[in-house]
Amino acid sequence: MSKLIMLRTDSRLVRSLGATLTALPAYQSALADAPPAFTEVGLRYSHYSEDSLPEERVIFGSPSRYDIDVTQLWIEAPVGGAWSIALDVQNDAMSGASPWFVGLGLDGEPGVIMSGASIEDNRVEVGVTTRYFWADGNAGLAISHSEEDDYEALSFAFDVAWNSADNSRTWTASASSSNDNVSPVKERIPVFIDEESLNTQSMYFGVSQILSQTKIVRIGLSYTQSEGYLTDPYKFADRRPDTHDKWTLSAGYRQFMVNMDAALQADYRYYHDDWGTDSHTIEIGWHQNLGKHVLAPYLRYYTQGEADFFSPIADRSQPFYADDYRLSSYGALTAGVRWTVQFGDWGIEAQAERYRSNNDWSLFDGDAAPALVDFWRATVGLSWRFD
Amino acid sequence: MKTVVLNIALFMLPLWLHGCTAIEPVSAWERGYLADPAMQWDRGKREAKFAGHVYTSKEASSGGAGAAGGGCGCN
Repeated sequence: MSKLIMLRTDSRLVRSLGATLTALPAYQSALADAPPAFTEVGLRYSHYSEDSLPEERVIFGSPSRYDIDVTQLWIEAPVGGAWSIALDVQNDAMSGASPWFVGLGLDGEPGVIMSGASIEDNRVEVGVTTRYFWADGNAGLAISHSEEDDYEALSFAFDVAWNSADNSRTWTASASSSNDNVSPVKERIPVFIDEESLNTQSMYFGVSQILSQTKIVRIGLSYTQSEGYLTDPYKFADRRPDTHDKWTLSAGYRQFMVNMDAALQADYRYYHDDWGTDSHTIEIGWHQNLGKHVLAPYLRYYTQGEADFFSPIADRSQPFYADDYRLSSYGALTAGVRWTVQFGDWGIEAQAERYRSNNDWSLFDGDAAPALVDFWRATVGLSWRFD
Repeated sequence: MKTVVLNIALFMLPLWLHGCTAIEPVSAWERGYLADPAMQWDRGKREAKFAGHVYTSKEASSGGAGAAGGGCGCN
């Protein structure tokens, strides 16, 4: 972001006078179709921690679950007058145990058998994105490689955005492809495969429209198709189809509140797949400018229906079966807050989020899974911009 | 469930129709508020990527926000 825009957005008076010197496209309201004016380097550290399962829901094993330490490092720079390039490196250090399968407890209720000994794993993802800018749009090409002990993924993505003649409407399209290989580690729990592959293709089409000086809206449609090994190799009672088709319809709305120097943010997504799952996601956020500081609380509600082949205790007589809580019917509430501050060329951020899920909060019918997850995540970050 | 979806669709329809019919021409020099970071579609590229990976790993749904990153997310 240029100093020009930083100056403008720091001043309510200047903004109210409409000092924008460039015709801002609708798809990405804070940036014109030009490469970044500065090089930026940044570092983020996040901790993700799942709550232990209640003792009464565990038949065997420790109720402790997953903890992940995530480090993100990036550099993004302009190249010439029309290009930018970004390098992203992410490291995930994971440890803990996860549900292995669900059985019937002594009380007659479904209970969880955990995977036993703590699992240690490390994932490293490296991604490079190049982007070309022209007067009426931009296009990006990204390649990413992710590797951990038992999983490797190589993905490519292309996206393009172009603006209407008056820059009030922006069309966006993207396509991506991922080739994954899974080779499970066998020393922890019994697994029944040596190596399998998975291919995923995805496409997205969307349009955003400026409604007024303070309002903008967008809608989008996506389709994703996966083919290959979709079963979770670390679940004892899990057998899934080898194809998966997914559709989403999403919408977003932003309204700037001039008198409050803040913005209302609202997003909705409807999801449907050919495994019988539908879901709704609604997120409401508030972005409050406070001089150099920004405080942005948000609430998210998510609800999904169960997959056709899910049951609390897997029925292994069926062609496909799963007791994975992630395929069950439930609702989840998320509350979070994000704080950022800009001191000259330095930016600081901090964020915390709480996620809780419950079968009773679902809009869909379905049996409760005993291993539903609750978690915390928190982030601190630092970035620096220079010419 | 169909009733819920229908209700949401009926709820949103007037908003969309209102939006379509209430578009005001906005000149280039009138886009100062639209340029505020508060009006961006995500909370930052890296946060969006991390949050997307967390939700996709723990929920059955994915998509609608561009290409996802790699990784198993099995556990």
